[in-house]
Amino acid sequence: MTETVRTSRFPAEIRSRGTWFALGVVVVLLLGWLTHYLNESVPDWAQDTSFDDIASAVEYPVYAILLGLAGNAVLTLTGLRDRLADGFRTEFFIKTGLVLLGASIDLKLIVDAAGRSIVQAVLLISLVFGFTWWLGGRLGLDDKLRALLASAVAICGVSAAIAAAGAVQARKEQLAYAASLVIAFALPSIFLLPWLADVLNLDDAVAGAWIGGNIDTTAAVTAAGTLAGEGPLAIASIVKVTQNALIGVVAVGLAAYFAYRVDRTPDAPRPGPGELWRRFPKFVIGFIAASVIATVYLGQVSSGEGKEHIAVVNDLRIWFLILAFVSIGLEFRVGALREAGWRPVAVFAAATVVNVLLALLLAVLLFSGFEIPAAR
Amino acid sequence: MSGTDPAAEPAGRPDPDVETRRRWALNEDWLATAVGLILIVLVLAGVVTDGLVP
Repeated sequence: MTETVRTSRFPAEIRSRGTWFALGVVVVLLLGWLTHYLNESVPDWAQDTSFDDIASAVEYPVYAILLGLAGNAVLTLTGLRDRLADGFRTEFFIKTGLVLLGASIDLKLIVDAAGRSIVQAVLLISLVFGFTWWLGGRLGLDDKLRALLASAVAICGVSAAIAAAGAVQARKEQLAYAASLVIAFALPSIFLLPWLADVLNLDDAVAGAWIGGNIDTTAAVTAAGTLAGEGPLAIASIVKVTQNALIGVVAVGLAAYFAYRVDRTPDAPRPGPGELWRRFPKFVIGFIAASVIATVYLGQVSSGEGKEHIAVVNDLRIWFLILAFVSIGLEFRVGALREAGWRPVAVFAAATVVNVLLALLLAVLLFSGFEIPAAR
Repeated sequence: MSGTDPAAEPAGRPDPDVETRRRWALNEDWLATAVGLILIVLVLAGVVTDGLVP
């Protein structure tokens, strides 16, 4: 009898989760469509008014994030947010958007920037991870939470926190908490960094390297890069993708450290080279493959035909980025931050300041005078 | 810090929710790569045109 109940209940549960997932995706799509509509219409509505300049300057990441936050507030008030949350797939949308972005970046730019990006990523990850780990220890944070926060702030936000959580066997509350901190700190950075880059009169390559090296989550890097311009967006994406590629190295190191030193399980299997590949973010391959495909294709067709096709890819990319930015707003959780108190927030805030300054220093040292070819 | 403070709780077994999210993230990487590359190929082959993208 029990078995009968069990077998009949599981499909219903899966069906129900599937329905909520689909409804969550529908919410993202509706808000994405509204973002697109506002982005197209607001400048027309504001024409010949005192808001004309502002309306022309506001770009789709701003509408998308604000609508996502507004949707988040409404869904939280109506009690639907948690049920729909599976459909808010920021990571999937941003990764697909980045693969599509690869088609508009000349392979030569990726190759030229690769050396500097790798040097910047290795130095930043080592220094910021080390600082966050040390400060978390000084303030008495749990080792697993330290590992999650250090990975999130030093590498690439939510993706790195997920990889680190798997490596150190963290709990879902710790992961939700780290992800909330990432988004809470990334949201203001999206608007502040492009503005500061402008105030500091940074050239496009330095601004892009600063944004890519500093902002934690990949979606927020792309949003800030978009606000800063096509040149900074290209460099920011290359720098961020390079950091993403190093997730595996850090995750394997953490897995080994926790197995042998923290949890002290000597019989734990030693992570081998296969682990590096298993934890490597595969969309990085898609990003480079897209650049290779588009670069080869543009060499075969006329300039007009090539530009026309890449423009369609760019339109699709904007759609996926809009969906990612809407999802960032929808995913933000204030509750998890309230629960954990001031110490992890203080660690994350201090690490973010160190990250901002180090990333600026390295961006100036490594990317000053770097030429970015015109966008295609 | 409250009783639910994630920093204060002892280490435990791997959380199945975290494992699920990690596995899903890895699958999501492949899915994003496949969707992105397929869309690029469809556009460059002329199957997806300007008129099909709103």
